[in-house]
Amino acid sequence: MKSLKLLAGKEGSSRRTFFRRLGLGALFAALAGQAYALLRSLVPNVLYEQPQKFKIGTPSEFPEGVTFLEDRRVYVFRDQNTFHTVSAVCTHLGCTVKMVNLNQPRKVAVGGREIEEAQEFHCPCHGSKYYGDGTNYAGPAPKPLACFQMEVSPDDGQLQIDLGQTVGRDVRLSV
Amino acid sequence: MAFNMSKWDRLVWTWRPASEREAGDSVVRNLLLHWFPAKVTKASLSIRYSIWLGTISALLFGILTVTGAILMFLYVPSVERAYASVKDLEFAVSFGWFIRAVHRISAHLMVAVVFLHMLRVFWTGAYKNGTAVNQNRPFNWLLGIGLLLVTFLLSFTGYLLPWDQLAYWAITVGTNIASAAPLVGEKIRFLFLGGNEIGQNTLLRFYVLHCFFLPLAVLFLFSWHMWRVRKDGGLACVDRLALEEKNAQAAPVASKTYSLLGIAKGRTVHVETSLVDHDRHTVPSSPNLTRRLLAVTLITLAVVAALAVFVGAPLEEAANPRVTPNPAKAPWYFLWLQELVTDTTIKIGGFTVNGALVGGILLPGVLVLLLGAWPYLDKSSVASVGVWFAKERRKQDMIFLAIVIFILVFTVIGTFLRGPYWKFYWPWQGWPEVPGRF
Repeated sequence: MKSLKLLAGKEGSSRRTFFRRLGLGALFAALAGQAYALLRSLVPNVLYEQPQKFKIGTPSEFPEGVTFLEDRRVYVFRDQNTFHTVSAVCTHLGCTVKMVNLNQPRKVAVGGREIEEAQEFHCPCHGSKYYGDGTNYAGPAPKPLACFQMEVSPDDGQLQIDLGQTVGRDVRLSV
Repeated sequence: MAFNMSKWDRLVWTWRPASEREAGDSVVRNLLLHWFPAKVTKASLSIRYSIWLGTISALLFGILTVTGAILMFLYVPSVERAYASVKDLEFAVSFGWFIRAVHRISAHLMVAVVFLHMLRVFWTGAYKNGTAVNQNRPFNWLLGIGLLLVTFLLSFTGYLLPWDQLAYWAITVGTNIASAAPLVGEKIRFLFLGGNEIGQNTLLRFYVLHCFFLPLAVLFLFSWHMWRVRKDGGLACVDRLALEEKNAQAAPVASKTYSLLGIAKGRTVHVETSLVDHDRHTVPSSPNLTRRLLAVTLITLAVVAALAVFVGAPLEEAANPRVTPNPAKAPWYFLWLQELVTDTTIKIGGFTVNGALVGGILLPGVLVLLLGAWPYLDKSSVASVGVWFAKERRKQDMIFLAIVIFILVFTVIGTFLRGPYWKFYWPWQGWPEVPGRF
C-alpha cells in the first residue's frame, strides 16, 4: 500500500488519480516504445557495402610508381620491393583527390625533414593540396591523407589493404 | 442570392459577386477561400508593399507538388535505375523534359523567392507587433525561418535524385559537412546516408524525405504561418494604416467599440483593425484578392514555363563515385557555404579546426540563431511597423543588408569565379585543361 501511495504522488491523491496516471503513463510508454521501434529500424544493421579489407592482386602485377585503385579510392605506391598506400579521400569534405605528376621530382620539407616527391595530390572541390606522401600543405584540408595497413595475404600471396586500419606515413611493406 | 442561381452562375459567382453581401458570402462559404478575410485592405494587396513574394512562394510550392506527384509516377528511386528513368524523362516520355524542367526551375525559384520574402518582411518591419493585444508576429517570423530551412532541405534532397555526377558530388560535399559537427556528426551522417557511403539507402532516404516528410512539414508550417497572419490582423501594413488613421485625428469612423471595463487589457486585432476606415481603405476579397491571386498564378506559371523551355534542367553523366568532377560544386544557394568552407580552416599552433565545422556548421548556425533572435532584440517603436526602410530601423536595416551582401558576394564567387581545383578565375579568364579522370 505504501508503494502505491508513493506512485500516486502527493498526500490526498485518490485511487482515481493513480489510475489516471497509470493509464497516461502506459500510453506514453507505448508511444515511446513504438517511436523507438520506428526510429531504430532506420539504423541499418546490415550494410551491403564493399568490405573494408580486400585483396588487390600479387605484388608483381603492380608497376613501379603509383597505381590508382578507382573503386576503393586508394593510391598504391611501389618503390621496388616496398609498397605503401595513400588514401584518395580528401580529409576536408571527402572528394577524390587527383594525382598531379610533377615534371621533375622535387624536394620538400615535411615536418622538419626533406622528402623527394614525384607527384602531388590536389582536391578539385575546394583546392586542398597534399605532398606526395599525403601531407597537406595548402587549402582547407585539416589533416594529411590517410595511409592504410597493407599486408601479404598468407593463403595466396596477394597484397591486401585494410581501410579500417590506418598506419604511419613511413610504414612500408617489404615483399 | 446563392440559392436561386443558374448552374453557370454557381460556377462564376465567386469571381463576379453582384453585391458586397454576395462577395463576403463567396469567400466565407467557399472551402478554398474560407481562410481569407471577407474584406481586405488595398494596402495589403499592393505590389509596392509585399511584392507578392509570399503568394509566389506558395504558388511555387503548389506547382512543385503537382509536377512532383507526376514525376513520382515516372521516377524509380533505385541506384541502378534512377539515372535511366530521369534520362527517359528527358528523351522518351512525352513532355517529360518539360515537367522535369518546370519542377527544377520552380525549386530554384522557390529558394530564391522565399529568401526574398524574408528580406521584404525584414525591411518592412513586418515581424513587429502593432498596438493590438495577442499579436505574435515575432513567432510567425520564426515559422518563416522554419519554412526557409525546410525549403533548403527540400531542394537539397531533391538534388540527389537524378543520380548524375552533379547530384552525387554535391551531396557528397553536403553530407560531409554534417560529419564535421562535433561528437554526433559522424552518427548523423551515417543515419542520413543509411550507411558509410552514398548508396541505395541514401537515395531511398532522400526520396522519402523529399516526397513525403518535408512537403508535409511545409504544409504544416505554411498553415500555421497563414493562420498567424490572420490572427495578427493581416499584413503589418494594416497596423500602419490604423496608426495613421489614429494620428490623423479624423472624424470617428463607424466602428464597434468594445467596453469590456477592465476584463480584457488592450484592444484585440479585430477592434484595432476596425479603426481603419473601411469605406476608404478596404475592398471585398472577392473579386479583388481572388483576381490578384489568379493574376499572380498566371504570371508565375508563365515565368516558370518560359524558364523551363529556355533554360531547362541539366543532366550530366551518371553518378560515378570513382570520378570527382573538377571543380565539384554544391547547388548555387549553398555555394556561399562551400566558399566559406574553403576559406575557414583555421590553424592555431599545431591544432587545426576543419573549415567544414566553422563555415559549414558554426557560422550558418550563428546566422540562423541571429535571424531567430532579431525580432526579440529589435526595440524600435510601433511607428516602424509595416513600412519600407523605417527611419528608426535604418541602422539594423544596414547591418542586415551587409549580411545579405556578404552571402550574395560569396555565392557569386562560388558560382562564377571558381574553376578547377577551386582556384580563382575571372569570367574572362579561360579555365585550363585539366585531366578529367586521373
